[in-house]
Amino acid sequence: MEEEIRPLPKFDYFSPHSLHDLSTLLKQLKGGISFLAGGTDLLVNMKKRITIPKVIIDINRIQELSFIEKRSNNIHVGSVTRLNNLIESSIVQENVPLLTEAIRFLASHPIRNRATIGGNLCTASPAADAAPPLLALNASVKLKSPDDEKIVPLSEFFVGPRQTVRKHNEILTEIIIPCEKGSNAFMKLGRRRGFTLSVVSVAAFGIIKGDKFEDIRIALGGVAPTPIRAYKIEEMLKGVEVSDRSIEKAAEIAKSISKPSKRAKRASVEYREAMARVLTKRVLMKIAFEERG
Amino acid sequence: MYQDYLGEVKKLLHGKDYKVVGKNVIRVDAIEKVTGRAKYTTDFIIENALIVRAVRSPYPHALIKKINKKPAFKIPGVVAVIIGDDIPGENQCGYYLDDQPLIATDKVRYIGDIVALVVAKDKESAWAGADAVEVKYEELPAVFDPKEALKGDFKIHNRKSPGDVKVIKGDVEQAFKECDVIVENIYKPGSQDHAYLETEAAIAIPEAQDGILVISTNQGPFRTRNAVARVLGKPQSQVRVITPYIGGGFGGKDTYGPIISSLAAVAAEITRQPAMIVHTRYDSFVYHFKRCPFEIRFKSGATKDGKLKAIEVDYLCDCGGYAAHVIGLLKRAAYHSTGVYEIPNCNVQGIAVYTNNLPVAAFNGFGNPQMLFAVESQMDLLAEKLNIDPVEFRLKNALVPGSRTGTNQLLDHSVGIKELISKVAKKADWVKKRSKQKRWQSETKKRGIGIGCSWHGCGTTGFKHDWAGASVILNPDGSVTYSTGIVEIGQGTITSHAMMVAETLGIPYEWVKVELNDTSRMPDSGETHAQRGAFIGGTAAVDAALKLRKKLNKLASEILKCDEDEITIEDGIAYSLNDASKKISFNDLVREMYQRGISPAEYGFIKARRGYPDPDTGQGDPYAAYTFGCTIAEVEIDIETGEVNVLRLYPGVAAGKILQPDVVRGQINGCAMLGLGYSLTEVVERENGKMVNPSFTDYLIPTIMDKPEIAEFISVEDEYKYSGYGAKGVGEIAFIATPLAVANAVYDAIGVRFYDLPISAEKVYFALKRK
Amino acid sequence: MKIKFQLNGQPVEAEAPIDETLLDFLRNRLRITSVKKGCDLGECGTCTVLLNGKPVRSCLLLAVQIDGEDVTTIEGLSKDDNLNPIQEAFVKEYGFQCGFCTPGMILTTKALLDKNPDPSIEDIKIAFEGNLCRCTGYDQIIESVLRAAKLIKR
Repeated sequence: MEEEIRPLPKFDYFSPHSLHDLSTLLKQLKGGISFLAGGTDLLVNMKKRITIPKVIIDINRIQELSFIEKRSNNIHVGSVTRLNNLIESSIVQENVPLLTEAIRFLASHPIRNRATIGGNLCTASPAADAAPPLLALNASVKLKSPDDEKIVPLSEFFVGPRQTVRKHNEILTEIIIPCEKGSNAFMKLGRRRGFTLSVVSVAAFGIIKGDKFEDIRIALGGVAPTPIRAYKIEEMLKGVEVSDRSIEKAAEIAKSISKPSKRAKRASVEYREAMARVLTKRVLMKIAFEERG
Repeated sequence: MYQDYLGEVKKLLHGKDYKVVGKNVIRVDAIEKVTGRAKYTTDFIIENALIVRAVRSPYPHALIKKINKKPAFKIPGVVAVIIGDDIPGENQCGYYLDDQPLIATDKVRYIGDIVALVVAKDKESAWAGADAVEVKYEELPAVFDPKEALKGDFKIHNRKSPGDVKVIKGDVEQAFKECDVIVENIYKPGSQDHAYLETEAAIAIPEAQDGILVISTNQGPFRTRNAVARVLGKPQSQVRVITPYIGGGFGGKDTYGPIISSLAAVAAEITRQPAMIVHTRYDSFVYHFKRCPFEIRFKSGATKDGKLKAIEVDYLCDCGGYAAHVIGLLKRAAYHSTGVYEIPNCNVQGIAVYTNNLPVAAFNGFGNPQMLFAVESQMDLLAEKLNIDPVEFRLKNALVPGSRTGTNQLLDHSVGIKELISKVAKKADWVKKRSKQKRWQSETKKRGIGIGCSWHGCGTTGFKHDWAGASVILNPDGSVTYSTGIVEIGQGTITSHAMMVAETLGIPYEWVKVELNDTSRMPDSGETHAQRGAFIGGTAAVDAALKLRKKLNKLASEILKCDEDEITIEDGIAYSLNDASKKISFNDLVREMYQRGISPAEYGFIKARRGYPDPDTGQGDPYAAYTFGCTIAEVEIDIETGEVNVLRLYPGVAAGKILQPDVVRGQINGCAMLGLGYSLTEVVERENGKMVNPSFTDYLIPTIMDKPEIAEFISVEDEYKYSGYGAKGVGEIAFIATPLAVANAVYDAIGVRFYDLPISAEKVYFALKRK
Repeated sequence: MKIKFQLNGQPVEAEAPIDETLLDFLRNRLRITSVKKGCDLGECGTCTVLLNGKPVRSCLLLAVQIDGEDVTTIEGLSKDDNLNPIQEAFVKEYGFQCGFCTPGMILTTKALLDKNPDPSIEDIKIAFEGNLCRCTGYDQIIESVLRAAKLIKR
């Protein structure tokens, strides 16, 4: 049920300027913490009382969290990088264009001026558009707590709708995306053309050698409690000839692995499953077409 | 009483072209709006105004057993808790019927019915106070399906229906026997939220002499004043309503304006302090009243030569917990149920039914989008059966001067629909695009083209009054002060009034200043709805200006020593047509008026030239004039996803004189998009009568990305002689035609007809799957 | 919390409660009522301000977050009645009706044209995707932006 819009609740506010200050702060505080990045979800959730933080830690002033760099064969993106900065980044466009394509129509331009890539992942909406491309690209995330740091593959990051493995005293500091040469395709279906949440989205990365799919990685949003990698499709297509039949078969698998929540609003289970099929087919056809010219 | 204003104005101009009317001028409100200085209700920030928060029923139907105010007073900022019994005057705010208490006392009839008001020093306390008030309810069986409500015994009120309507003409039974084709279907056009960007709000301030000032989002300052006076038990003279700029109305603030104003007024009256109430977007979506859902059984018949013979229509309007606006829209739908066609035999019966849904509001089209959706779908179905092109079929039956409507009203002039249909069809290249052979399509995409025709009576429906005033004051320096009872809700009407006043007086448009809308300046002028802003309100402006112009002409002829008929006034100079050297400036002329003791101020007052149809037969003249519309839509459908992409819209209107072409274009394109939302994406999802998708993320109004190409509108200027400059209303007409054209185009593309709106992608997908 | 920031080119020092959005702060404390509250959830665009030149939603920012930053509202575009070319274009092309979305639309135009002086219709649509208008049907807004671009180039 949609919640009423109320005045913001009371909270304590901290705005550390470095990761070091943040660590110090996290050691002192005892739970009830929300990190404020873009704020485009957090403030909404606070007004609706979905989130009532005792403490807000504004991480926008931590310069160390805002960067886009290529190191060896990986792209590293700081978690507080704004979506529009990512879209405009030539490093991202050249190395991981699938990400650019997917977030280009996420929410709206002014929202993307504030919303961050880390925020989009930590919110863990089943419909978050940034997740499927990053899953298909084998991205991982770095989680940092005051006394530990670990790298988690994105495929293990989401555990449920609006739930991730991130602990309350951990902060997602960066996203690591391996660069690979291949073809990309992203498609989303919303309920109107502009400023729309995805009902279903599909992202795929693929390499075709000769007439065969050499490697395909495909991920879907909106068809399960979390964004999912479609390993079944990937295995089925590996080494298989590119044809209408193989693509159709892959699309059918997409439909069969889709398990949208019955409580999910905005579209019926049956429609989501059907659209998983249609979009998977279209995404694969685009890759096949691009790779073979 | 009914003057040929068009003829009089033309006579004054001696056959010359208009200098102002029909041109594009800088809108009266332009500079304020582009600089951000334009003030809307909540921009009137009153220091220390108390905040009002309503306590609303969580049950759709329940008895109120007990209300405990005390816990709210534990919140430090809470100043007052007001229940129905505390209301100083009459606890009543029904629009047409006295069936709606402002604050419910004995029972609640929809989720959101107001049971108490908490008045507090700040927002946080008001919210906390509203949460704290304890209300004990005893739930009653609730009903959300109007048919069930009609059959069952839910006792929402002491009667099941707040009203009904009939239009009976000719012999329908016999006529159907003579028909070669008959089509009968059930249509269920749904609800729609106005989704204006400014939510509802009101500020009330106690004034001197025990009066009260209300500043609020409303489309009917006088109705608002009268409503406030009623709940406060004051004479209407003690209540002053100022209506600032309104951030979109579309009818919604016509219905809800008096209610929200009364809430603020009661709080201010009881606390004797300024009080304000502002709806959040959630409140606006969930609690303000919306478009009425219809269920229509529509049977129509024609002979094989393509002539319409008869219609038989039964329909049900689900009005929710209170009658609010339903009586008017129920009647309007019946009186337009023939569509723009001459049909000799009609049997139309409509009834409104109480349910425990949210009540319904006025909304652009006022029942006509719903009824005409059925009418125009039927037209295409009949045309198909008759194997006649839909445009040709419409042309064969369209109203012409001399035609009689379903209510037997004789339309003697100003009936431009036939010419309009031909012109729009030509512009859209209908014949070529309709041809199936040449049409572009692919494996996954199919295209189609469809037409929809609409009409909309100008002014309120013939069962209540329709009048308006205006005043013009000539100041000693020649500048002009103009006041109107019509509200600027974005439509640009006050600019058109200023233009007509300037044209009539013979002065530049810039010399006319339009005053802030204030009920203390003007006699009751009705509401800004029903396409009456320019049509009735504007004619009142012309009436006032004409009175002054006649005085000016007479005075000029005396000063210039020539015949009154020789005088003309142009660009602020009065001169003789026979001898241009005989001239006097407008300001000198006005100063002379003052010198000679001739009153330089006039009121205009107009009553619509129409009747009151017979309640048993619906026969009579419910409207003074009708505006006509015709839209053609081209669509492309993705048959795998079901998405309907409207590629192009070709709108057209026969709305009499177009006073401001670019402003009218804005009205038409805006209407087209409002109609597009109703056609494709806007669904009020309800659980127990309560909207459950109350946000712009889930209630999908068209964004700039959803905008199709909209062709330059076609206009047939079928002037109406009893209005200022021959104008008819234009605010609602283009809306009505859009969904009709889209639905018919969808059918043309994929051969699936939808009997309800909107036509969402998911619906199309499943329909195609079933096919 | 005391904050210092640039507002329309002028330094401002003010006390901002930490639980107040920038929107409420601008409207209620600084009396800048051109910034409108249409939804309070970032979905409508009427509360648009420029933060360091970029359009953002003031309803989704805390006032304390603008400490040290540069904020522009529509008041920063023109002095007295000397309209900025963008405002002039909106007047001439009838790019407004009820006017409630207009300050947001004009600020969005400003940010777009500062970055892209010669936008295509597609560029305009992307920039304005988050600014809802219920009155105009958007055509005259697009035409206003195109005219503004021409006026500025001249």
